[in-house]
Amino acid sequence: MSAGVVDLTLWQLALALLLVAAVAIVSIRQALGLERDLLLGSIRTIVQLYGVGLILAAVFAAARWYWVVLILIVMTGVATHAAVSRLPKPIPGAYRIAAVSLFVSTGVTLAYVIGVVVQVRPWYEPQYIIPIAGMILGSSMTSAALAGDRLQGELRVRAAEVETRLALGFSGREAVQPLVRSALRAAMIPVVNGMMTVGLVQLPGMMTGQILAGSSPLLAIRYQIVVVFMQAAATALASLFFVRLIAGRYLTPVHQLRRYLR
Amino acid sequence: MNDPLFEIEHLALAYPGRRGQPMAPILKDVSFTVERGRALTLVGPSGSGKSSLLRCLNRLEEPTAGTVRFEGRDIRDLDPRRLRRGAALVMQTPVVFEGTVRDNLRLRPPDVDGDLSEARLGQALADVGLEGELLDRDAATLSGGEKQRVTIARALLGDPRALLLDEPTSALDPPNAALVVETVSRLREARGLSIVAVTHQPELVRRLGGMLLYLVKGEMQAYERVGDLDVRLQAFLAGERAAGVADAS
Repeated sequence: MSAGVVDLTLWQLALALLLVAAVAIVSIRQALGLERDLLLGSIRTIVQLYGVGLILAAVFAAARWYWVVLILIVMTGVATHAAVSRLPKPIPGAYRIAAVSLFVSTGVTLAYVIGVVVQVRPWYEPQYIIPIAGMILGSSMTSAALAGDRLQGELRVRAAEVETRLALGFSGREAVQPLVRSALRAAMIPVVNGMMTVGLVQLPGMMTGQILAGSSPLLAIRYQIVVVFMQAAATALASLFFVRLIAGRYLTPVHQLRRYLR
Repeated sequence: MNDPLFEIEHLALAYPGRRGQPMAPILKDVSFTVERGRALTLVGPSGSGKSSLLRCLNRLEEPTAGTVRFEGRDIRDLDPRRLRRGAALVMQTPVVFEGTVRDNLRLRPPDVDGDLSEARLGQALADVGLEGELLDRDAATLSGGEKQRVTIARALLGDPRALLLDEPTSALDPPNAALVVETVSRLREARGLSIVAVTHQPELVRRLGGMLLYLVKGEMQAYERVGDLDVRLQAFLAGERAAGVADAS
């Protein structure tokens, strides 16, 4: 199948770097002041991707389940940190909440896709599980961050509304439910909208990659459909767990809103 | 007249400080009693803890020390949701929810039932001096005074024994403020409601009668019958009146 793949030499990569040089010229001419960051960004792109590539090559060659699990744990750790650092207001227990949300959403979705849909045997086949887990984690992380950001914003602006409901005798959970709903919608709308235009505006990355690697477009779209659906599931699960658990942090067992967290 | 609805003993409240900082004291050793069917007004400079005190009574805030008894029972032994229906809080800035006035009046927890017939909703509006036609109005289009009275009507529909009012008139212009003062004092008499009100409105203090608690920096400076206020409190209220007039003009 690799018959159709054009090998990329380092010389060719250097040619690609000329594209960034063009950006640098624009930056200098227009006094954008982005040259330093551009240089740093280009170096990081090369170093990070080469690093990941070397690790992946080693893991692919070894094909041991524990290496795969270790990589998944590291990926979840990085995603957890990213989701937490995007919360506008730090709250106690945020790391645990994010880790649980991402672990559950990714674990459930990944198990279903690997075990039931694609039926990869053995399950830890790195060529499948690592990129698929990466895509699921990416969606989970983005949606958790979006939902958390929105929930905290709503709690800041709508605290009086929550307390009005509490004062009318609603439970804490009932009182924050409209805010939770709005945060969940904010996290899920981009995914649902993405489903409307997928393939029409641009070809999704994974599909592009598969086609470039010589897969037939018809096989590539089948995989892409699975990817879109699994990302939708991961988004829903991650934002649901994250928002519920974060909202719980703002409430006491006796149905009070913790004002000092606002 | 020895039938206390609220008994507050040595109440203290402090907020947790920011990282490494000590607790910030809000209320210190506050004790008072509210008789059934009577009123208590909380006055004092802003930042003195009046609103926090009110929120301790329906347990939106958790006191750090002391006890609050409602109808003879420590509120920590009550389901806070029941307590809050028995002692209904009306906030300074009225919060109305999306929908009509009717939707707002019918708003209540799913596990609570009770009469929400048109007749009863109409009566609740009448009790706060509003017309029945208002039921179909979009709540967002009400004036500030109307909103405040709708929130009072909404609180009344839960059949509370006490109304906790947090500066119910401060967001209103003088005519609307006067209407709310009128409404609240009439309700106390007609329904035998106990009323605890944070207010800057001397008129409301006078009309409600009962007791007055003067709070400065979280400490009780005075706790007296409204009928025989000392010179200092009268001066304070006069100052508030002057400030109110200045605000309005």
